Amino acid sequence: MSQIGSFALLLALVLSAYSFVAGLVAVTRKGPGAERLGETARRAGIATFAMVFLAALVLVIAAFQDDFSIAYIFHHSNRDLPGAYKFATLWSGQEGSLLFWSLLLATYGLVLRLRYKTDSRLFAHASVIIAAVQVFFLLLLNFAAHPFAVMQGLPQDGNGLNPLLQYPEMVIHPPMLYLGYVGFTVPFAFALAALIMRYPGEKWIQITRRWSMVTWGFLTCGVFLGAHWAYSVLGWGGYWGWDPVENASLMPWLTGTAFLHSVMMQEKRGMLKTWNMWLIFATFLLSIFGTFLTRSGVVSSVHAFAQSSIGDWFVGFLAVTFAVCLFFYVKNRPHLRSEHKLESLVSRESSFLFNNLLLLVACFTVLWGTLFPVLSEAVQGSKVTVGPPFFNRVNVPVALLLLLLTAVGPLLAWRKTSIESLKRNFLWPALGAIAIGAALIVVGIRPWKDMTYLYSLMTIMLSALVGFTVISEFIRGGRVIKGHTGQSLFASMVQLAHRNTRRYGGYIVHFGVIVIMIGFAGAAFNQDKEQEMGYGDKMSLGAYTLVCRSYTQEDKPNYSSEWAIIDVFKGGKQIDTLYPERRFYKASQQMATMVANRSTFKEDLYLVYEGLNQDTGRPILKVHLNPLVMWIWVGVWIMIAGTVVALIPNAVPVRVTAPARIQAAPVGAGD
Amino acid sequence: MIVLICALVAASVLFYIFYLPGKLHLGVEKTRVAYLRERQEAVYENLRDLNFEYKAGKLPDADYQSLKSSLEEEAATVLAEIARLEKTGAGHPLRSDKGARI
Amino acid sequence: MRNFLQKTAQLTFLIAALFTFLGTDQDVRFQTLGHKVKCICGGCNQVLLECNHVGCSYSDRMRGELASYVERGDSDDLTLQAFVQKYGPTVLIAPTTTGFNRVAWVMPYLVLVLGLTTVVLIARTWKTRPQIIPVGGTGRVSNLELERYREQARKDTEV
Repeated sequence: MSQIGSFALLLALVLSAYSFVAGLVAVTRKGPGAERLGETARRAGIATFAMVFLAALVLVIAAFQDDFSIAYIFHHSNRDLPGAYKFATLWSGQEGSLLFWSLLLATYGLVLRLRYKTDSRLFAHASVIIAAVQVFFLLLLNFAAHPFAVMQGLPQDGNGLNPLLQYPEMVIHPPMLYLGYVGFTVPFAFALAALIMRYPGEKWIQITRRWSMVTWGFLTCGVFLGAHWAYSVLGWGGYWGWDPVENASLMPWLTGTAFLHSVMMQEKRGMLKTWNMWLIFATFLLSIFGTFLTRSGVVSSVHAFAQSSIGDWFVGFLAVTFAVCLFFYVKNRPHLRSEHKLESLVSRESSFLFNNLLLLVACFTVLWGTLFPVLSEAVQGSKVTVGPPFFNRVNVPVALLLLLLTAVGPLLAWRKTSIESLKRNFLWPALGAIAIGAALIVVGIRPWKDMTYLYSLMTIMLSALVGFTVISEFIRGGRVIKGHTGQSLFASMVQLAHRNTRRYGGYIVHFGVIVIMIGFAGAAFNQDKEQEMGYGDKMSLGAYTLVCRSYTQEDKPNYSSEWAIIDVFKGGKQIDTLYPERRFYKASQQMATMVANRSTFKEDLYLVYEGLNQDTGRPILKVHLNPLVMWIWVGVWIMIAGTVVALIPNAVPVRVTAPARIQAAPVGAGD
Repeated sequence: MIVLICALVAASVLFYIFYLPGKLHLGVEKTRVAYLRERQEAVYENLRDLNFEYKAGKLPDADYQSLKSSLEEEAATVLAEIARLEKTGAGHPLRSDKGARI
Repeated sequence: MRNFLQKTAQLTFLIAALFTFLGTDQDVRFQTLGHKVKCICGGCNQVLLECNHVGCSYSDRMRGELASYVERGDSDDLTLQAFVQKYGPTVLIAPTTTGFNRVAWVMPYLVLVLGLTTVVLIARTWKTRPQIIPVGGTGRVSNLELERYREQARKDTEV
């Protein structure tokens, strides 16, 4: 079995190398010979997919057959592991996840190579670049991290999957994240291809627009699934710890977000070509860098696969990629000249510039904080810790500024905006935001007492500002359509979104972002309490009273567990029963908590079973009361919905025939 | 057995890659007119947006008129060149040996 | 399993310490200091008082130590120093504001300021840069013709 996998991997390497070399020769020559060569390169790319797929399939089958003769299966699975987790074995360890990376890349490559007729020369160039990346990963798989390495002797059972990973979300979190990481290879490949062949026009952006958005959507999902997993499994009551690996996924997300915004300036106005080129280069390099951070063990992290030799390979690959990008940039720089000038600092264009600046400063801060320990060791000989307080202190103000821009940007006109127009568009949203702020102070938030309260209040006010501007955009646009078609306002707004899905989908994404931000703002008011809870013992936190009804133990094939049964009272009435649990996984000899969480829009009541007090035999519970956390997960769904809307093709706009000259008369203007 | 499977896989892959009977479909080379059409579409899109935003009441008259006239100017130049190229028989591929210059 | 027993014993001690010795004033200090120190378990990279991830065999002991320092009435500096002495400089959750560590704090703001200046400067140069007309060859088109195309564009893009 494992021989077939090894063979498939080796053949995949040969094929992708052929696809790269033959493709390269074909795009630099002309004539029918070159065209035939190019076609073989394309087909070799497709065949690469088949071989990598075969290899992955073999690995998954081996996991299901409990084939512990393969070292990877031995280390990451065991007989009693549930089926879904056996499937997830594919991405639970280093070798497997590299294979998975390679498989996703091959899949993206397959789609690209099948759709080559859109623009065969551009696609041929992009295909060569994808093949080059694929060669790197297959080299790794064949020579540095072989997933089909064989065990000495035949073990009876495997080591099992890390219990922290035995959680449903863990089955989908890595694929999402990887789809995001790997997906940026496609816009990267097209951008580099366009630069190399000095591709005329911005069509490549249109071609990759959907790729970028889908990729970005996956990365968003991946990042937040990770946060949700940390929240529900690690049991420390938080969702984001600024761990190097979390940071690694955040960095390409930040630059990718910047790219999605600034690329519009290139499409619409032919500006910022150099900037966009480097943004997408940076995003790709950061995705690779993220994989490197996760895998190499240069920085310490929760995700302790690490401590292997493949770090050097990644450093080499990053260096080569950067050199190639730089070479072609220097060579073809004149091709990236801007077609328009910036007309005003108060314009949509400049708001994109500032948006990009802030996103990149946030990205830099994350990168800097993640790598500072390494730098510190080199300079002053000792490592230091750069923990959450550092990242929060720097990034919270940046995030607030970004929120402000999110509110202002969409209301600015392209090219230039007059003060009058600003007044016209901002008056009501700004008054609304101020009203909300005042209401919160009346309700009892005291921003002058603590910096975190101030930040929290500002976050909510700015979020409200964004929310109101988004709503006003929908209503304004809806009214125009309503004026033409006579439909209801809601139907008009739906039609409005359908006419320009990217813009209005984008607004929905912004709406999701503010819902998430409000969720983050709740963290300023977190409370927690720890107590031993025997039969009938009570504990109060916030408006809740918890009473321990019982506690017990149980033994299952995969793990043994202890849990408590806790009745939750509020206002004298019982509203719920929660079961915080703690498991001991037998195969890996590790502990895991199963948090009991009662989640509402107002707050999460989050119970962690910490263990039994050996003297008294009673369980110790830690209870967190985390306001507004649910908003974060709801916001993510809204963001996903917005992304999906943005992916729908535009409906053809309704053409209203009117005499050309009189057309300047406004419809429903100035209200 | 395993050797046989591997050989079979390798053979079919090689056959797929190198067996290319008949003519290849490669799509068309991008022409200057095609490029200009893209430009036209972009400028048109901007104009439509502008008109729509004006109707939605987001822009004062003065801003609208000046933005509109400069965009129309841009569109007109593109349209003029498209017309000229189509009259003289379009379809020059964009790429020269030195690559496309816009 | 032995780890587990140890942990629970420590936990018991800690809770006892917390509830027996700490008054409100000390509780505040415990909270503040506990947020300036990291749990050195190596896994979570978390603030000491927020680390209770599964299998952590350090946080309880460290909390106990912190409680005893606070109980003894050591100053904040002294307490943090004691932690650094025992666990090394990585025990502090964020870089200090002295020596080379200051660079950690300064850089992001420096980049923000530099970036802002660059963006404004670039925007200014762009404003003064002559308009680059992307399409050439309109010289032979008469003004009248251009006006006609303009009219066509206007018609095509009516909403």
